[in-house]
Amino acid sequence: MKTKFSVILTLMLALVVQISFAQNKNVSGTVSDESGLPLAGATVIIEGTTTGVTTDFDGQYSISTSVGDVLVFSYVGFLSQSETVGASNTINVSMSLDNALDEVVVEAYRTTSKETSSISSTTITAETIESRPNASFAQTLQGQVAGLNIVTNNGQPGGNSLINLRGVSSISGNTEPLFIIDGVPVDEDNFRSLNPNDIASLSVLKDAGATSIYGNRGANGVIIIKTKVGTYNQGLKVSYSGLTSFSNLQSNDYNLMNSREQLQLEKDYGSGFGSTLSDVELEARARQTNTDWLDVFFNTGLTQTHTLSLSSGGENLNSFTSLGFSDTEGILAKASTLKRFNFRNNINGKSNDGRFRYSTSLSLNYSESLEPNSIGSGAINRNFVNGALLSVPYISPYSYVSGEGANIPVVFANTPLFLLDRLETYTRRDDEIRAIASLKASYDITDEITFNSTFGADFTEDQLTRSEAPNSFNAQLFAQTGNETPGFEQRNSNRSVYLNFNNQLNYRNTFDDKHTIDVSLFTEYFKAHWRSFGYFAEGLDPATYYPGDGSAYIDDNAANDNFVDTASANIQNAGLFSVFAYADYDYDTKYGFTATVRRDASYRFADSNKWGTFWSVAGRWNLSKEDFMQDVTWINSLKLRGSYGKAGNQRIVDSGGAFAPFGGADLTRDLYVTGNQYGGVNGLTFAQIGNNSLQWETVVSSNIGIDFSMFNRLRGSFDIYKRNTEDLFFPTPISPAINGAQSSISANVGELQNTGFDLELKYDLFKAKKQGDFGMTLSFVTNFNEQEVISLGSGGDIPYGLRVGGIIGEIYAAPYMGVNPANGNMLFQDQNGNITEDLIESDQLATMKNAYPDYQGSFGFDAEWKNLFMTTQFNYATGIYRFDFDYSGFMDPRDIGQFRHSRDILAAWQQPGDITNVPSLNATNLDDQDLSDRHLRKADYLRLRFFQVGYNIPESVANKSGFSYARIFASGENLITWSPWKGLDAEGSGSAQAGYPTPKTVSFGLEFGF
Amino acid sequence: MKNIFKFIYACLILSVTSCDDAIEITQPGRLGAENAFQSVADLQGGLLASYNFLDTTYEIGFTSAMTDECYKGRDNGGQNSSEQNFNINSSNGYASGMWSSYYGAIGMANRVIEAGDLVDRSEDPVAYDNIMGQAHAIRAFSHFQILTWFSTDYTDNDALAGLLLTSVTEDIFAQIPRSTNMEFYDQITQDLNAAEGLITSDAGNKFLGLDAINAIRARMHAYKGDYAAAKQYAEALLTSYSVSDQTQFVQMFEDNDFTEIIFSLERSIGDSYDGQGTAGGGWAGSLYAFVDASEQGGPFMEMSRSVYNIMAGTSDVRLSRCLNVAESIIDSDYETNDNFLNDDVLLAYKYPGGTQPLLNDLKVFRAAEMHLIVAEAEADAGNFAQVGVLINQLRSLRGADALSAPTNEQDAFGMILDERRLEFLFEGHRWVDLKRMGDRGGRALDRDARECSFLSGCTLANSDYRFTLPIPVSELTANQAAQQNPNY
Repeated sequence: MKTKFSVILTLMLALVVQISFAQNKNVSGTVSDESGLPLAGATVIIEGTTTGVTTDFDGQYSISTSVGDVLVFSYVGFLSQSETVGASNTINVSMSLDNALDEVVVEAYRTTSKETSSISSTTITAETIESRPNASFAQTLQGQVAGLNIVTNNGQPGGNSLINLRGVSSISGNTEPLFIIDGVPVDEDNFRSLNPNDIASLSVLKDAGATSIYGNRGANGVIIIKTKVGTYNQGLKVSYSGLTSFSNLQSNDYNLMNSREQLQLEKDYGSGFGSTLSDVELEARARQTNTDWLDVFFNTGLTQTHTLSLSSGGENLNSFTSLGFSDTEGILAKASTLKRFNFRNNINGKSNDGRFRYSTSLSLNYSESLEPNSIGSGAINRNFVNGALLSVPYISPYSYVSGEGANIPVVFANTPLFLLDRLETYTRRDDEIRAIASLKASYDITDEITFNSTFGADFTEDQLTRSEAPNSFNAQLFAQTGNETPGFEQRNSNRSVYLNFNNQLNYRNTFDDKHTIDVSLFTEYFKAHWRSFGYFAEGLDPATYYPGDGSAYIDDNAANDNFVDTASANIQNAGLFSVFAYADYDYDTKYGFTATVRRDASYRFADSNKWGTFWSVAGRWNLSKEDFMQDVTWINSLKLRGSYGKAGNQRIVDSGGAFAPFGGADLTRDLYVTGNQYGGVNGLTFAQIGNNSLQWETVVSSNIGIDFSMFNRLRGSFDIYKRNTEDLFFPTPISPAINGAQSSISANVGELQNTGFDLELKYDLFKAKKQGDFGMTLSFVTNFNEQEVISLGSGGDIPYGLRVGGIIGEIYAAPYMGVNPANGNMLFQDQNGNITEDLIESDQLATMKNAYPDYQGSFGFDAEWKNLFMTTQFNYATGIYRFDFDYSGFMDPRDIGQFRHSRDILAAWQQPGDITNVPSLNATNLDDQDLSDRHLRKADYLRLRFFQVGYNIPESVANKSGFSYARIFASGENLITWSPWKGLDAEGSGSAQAGYPTPKTVSFGLEFGF
Repeated sequence: MKNIFKFIYACLILSVTSCDDAIEITQPGRLGAENAFQSVADLQGGLLASYNFLDTTYEIGFTSAMTDECYKGRDNGGQNSSEQNFNINSSNGYASGMWSSYYGAIGMANRVIEAGDLVDRSEDPVAYDNIMGQAHAIRAFSHFQILTWFSTDYTDNDALAGLLLTSVTEDIFAQIPRSTNMEFYDQITQDLNAAEGLITSDAGNKFLGLDAINAIRARMHAYKGDYAAAKQYAEALLTSYSVSDQTQFVQMFEDNDFTEIIFSLERSIGDSYDGQGTAGGGWAGSLYAFVDASEQGGPFMEMSRSVYNIMAGTSDVRLSRCLNVAESIIDSDYETNDNFLNDDVLLAYKYPGGTQPLLNDLKVFRAAEMHLIVAEAEADAGNFAQVGVLINQLRSLRGADALSAPTNEQDAFGMILDERRLEFLFEGHRWVDLKRMGDRGGRALDRDARECSFLSGCTLANSDYRFTLPIPVSELTANQAAQQNPNY
């Protein structure tokens, strides 16, 4: 049975603790679960006495005893285990699960067992994160946690994924969960520099009972990541994992024309190159050149990753060190890469008596990436994806002569040539240093009272270089008259540091063996600083040009302003301060009750509503512990739990990225800015109307759930929830006439509701009775979410944008009804239900459709037989609608002669009486389709997200070769997708227009240790 | 044990006392509104900010696309398709661009005028008065522009103009209805009079001086049909500004000759309009081409055949000024050539730019307009022969052949409309001119038959609702008191 465990770092004090000294032998060791992860707070008692100790947060213990004594190891949720003290000074214990309970639960500032937890959460362990080729671990998480919707809209290696928990809970503010790595809150949009192989566990906290204690940062859920650690009294362990991956473009159903067809279309329509050719010439050209530009701009991306880790431990100190290197090529040839180097060192230490413990976690990361910009834009001279999608096949890539970009004729059909030139002449490179460090210390003041202190920092320094070579098409094209040395180089340095300092005083005690009380008091201080500067240098001398080097910069001169450089700099500071507490009461692991309260202050609201209070209450009832359930033997465990509470979102402006803490810093103030020159002199412009009643958004959520395990085979959880975002922060419309062209002010005016359920199931279809037998576990994860805008304040609905009773991102469109057989024009349904050829703005009606799924999740199986193992994960999502603007372009007759088309356009209406769905190429109402749903597509999908098959080298063989273990495997990501979506990537958010699709990837891996 | 508690208290106190520095943060580099205006120099800064809101590219772009000035060019990727097809609605970008520009300018001017009370005039009374005068002039000009684009009928005093705003509105959620043309005209007159009383020095034609004030008056009176007053102001200006000759005319649009310029908005490298703005808000020339005014410059709006065909073969300097004759490709078979979009390339050339391609000053008032206002006044007064004289004076300066004088009112206004069509091509006048005197002159939007066979219409009645712009959706959403124009 595969189980989920977590490293435990927060404190749990002993149930029974007494220490005596007069013994003659000191035994120490590690208590861990079956998969080797240490258990903190396990008790170790000498049988027949009350003498005992508890393990520390790394599962370590040390006890004075005598040979022949029996040590009894116990831990909530695990079967007790006894070991007799012999000659050895070290006894390491691997504990087995008590059948009824199977999970250690990571909570906000503590760890509990499943039985004593009241919260809704899911924990993912290292084994599901490791060995995946995704540069950002967020991509790997997709589909694995019910209610966690992850969309990766960008094929850039390590690119940002959009993460929402249980529906989008804000319109303009941050909607992504808070990420905490080893106690440090980090930038949730940038994991490109972090090594996923260092992660030991990842826990998603979902309900108010779990997240309200994060106060104004907890509204969108919290994801707690713990990295791997060493264990005490352990010899050196070395392990290596390597992965080689090949990524390719996913397929499309656009049915695109080849060279002959495209030329013929142009000839028939009478526009473009094809219209200038005779039949013979056309045939000759089609034979000569037939370029599929998708294959030119996209190619196979090769990825190699290597991780080497070392761990060892002595009596009072252990360490885990890892080195990682990865080199990832995106599928967008030459323009998209990520190289990174990672170093991590986690150290744990303790005093001899174990009362003082500390740990440090340090990761240093460096990455270099080439990351194309303008992705998604219509700029045919800047967005490489346009080159792949739009380019006509009768142009050859050999028409581009390297270095001759300036001579490419400026017509749309030359799009691929502009972009081939850009590939050669444009550089956009990010160099990033990222360091995440934390220090934790704990001291047991008494056996019941512990003081913990955690200090953490997330530091990022990013240097962006953008450079457009002087001989490039773009530089030459946009050069000022007479400018012989155009081109530019921009360099920006952005530095951010987040500091978090948390102090905790914990009291925990058990009375009469049945009443357990756990109470903590906290203060938390968060401060963040942003410093950036940069310049934009105009003019580059080709003789000395090299991207990133300033030798080629041209000085300003008296004759013109062509080479005036601009400089920029920015300082921003942010801070939060909080006091909070939780209290948990447990009765005999049957009933329990948890309450949290937090007072938070945010710098954003210093002038309006500085302090906010957030709270939650939660309860649990382990039904299976009740006497009346003892006869129901098919139920192994059953727990009912519920929570209600309020969390906040102080990131009311979604700045994203490392800048996230700093966005919307001044919204309470009326501000002027200097700049905006007229007549060559600086002006003084009114820039912002302040909102002096600004405050956080609050999310009030209720959750009822059960955790169950039955028939010794089926286990899972089911939760229903309701989440109401109140004081919804929203750019409320204000009259631009009255307010000097400002058309909105950010204010807390609306309310939004998300309701739904999460279901997670695992079923052991075949249970291996002994090692090597066939075992197979099925898994199923799903979430259903429904959204409703309840209020938008006095401003009311935003026309064609948002309405009360609607959903975020709702699509407004008039139904497309086909083609008028009489004249080939498009027919639509107007707002009164009549058929029309002529749409007006108000015919666009709300559709209750948007790009967020109704149902989404995954299913799959894990199987093992002898030394073979196999995993599959199918992801699915339903209820997604997106505009396919790429397809719209392939079907647009106005683009004939300029861009590529789909064969589907050949079905166009030609003469009166034709019945077709494709309008005449000369339809006079082509513009009207922009108001219609003609190109709105269902983007539901089922996808083989992950498939892996591997072989464990038999231990005996491995050991002979000096390895403790070794395994090889092959895996695939996104191998097959079933979807009505025609485009290159069914997964995505919003409309599709020249985006960078995520790839399908095949990988081969090797792991071994010694 | 007690020491330990002391330690903990110390830690907690440490955390609490340091909390203020985490939450009481003032970001550096911020200028609070309360401290913005302290000196006359600050007022001058505010005034420049107000000027910087003024932008006529939305008018120019809209007029070119909506009327018969332009047809989509070879490298059109969908730009202006709505306007070309008369699909105008409350989300129209040009309408909201104008609304924002002029109300931005009005809002800033109002702030300057109010801040005047906070600043000590005696610091520099002359500068102070000139600033206040120009702020009033900007407010007057902006209100007039709003009226021009959003009022249904300039001659109807009861028709609605826009929101009349003469002070900073404290309540940002205020619901304010539109005022009538009459109220607008009165306030504009009052502001212009105030400006006239305050402005004493001539800051040049990039700023609103006494001459610009009179030019506003001339245009306003002409639009409302009060030709006696219009003529008086126009003739007065023509004593100090002469209509340029051919060389000067060419040079004027390269910003090298200012003979004719009464008021223009300066556009220079590095200012906030120095950038591509294919739908307004940037280089004026980028309303027509992506890169520059050459054949390789990515023309997406080209001169309409309907205008070109009028001037083709003549020596009218306005042809060579408005069309890049050297690089345009003229296909004499454009009416039958299937591929005429690629084979017939008529490059707009009124904003070629200087050092920065496509970047030119925006000409707002020039002497030729005053000259033609006088002609309108003569037509209105029935002096048709004099109309012919005035038009031919202008045509002679432009190198165009003389025309025979009109003999009735319709011909006179028709002649003026035809002349204005050429004279102010790509300057944002055509739509207004058809609206206000199309019927009187027997003229209407007149697109080329070949071009408009691909569009949803070749002409549009001068009385059509689309000769009044819709109040932008952003205004209606927030200010329900503002009435939408008919049929939108």
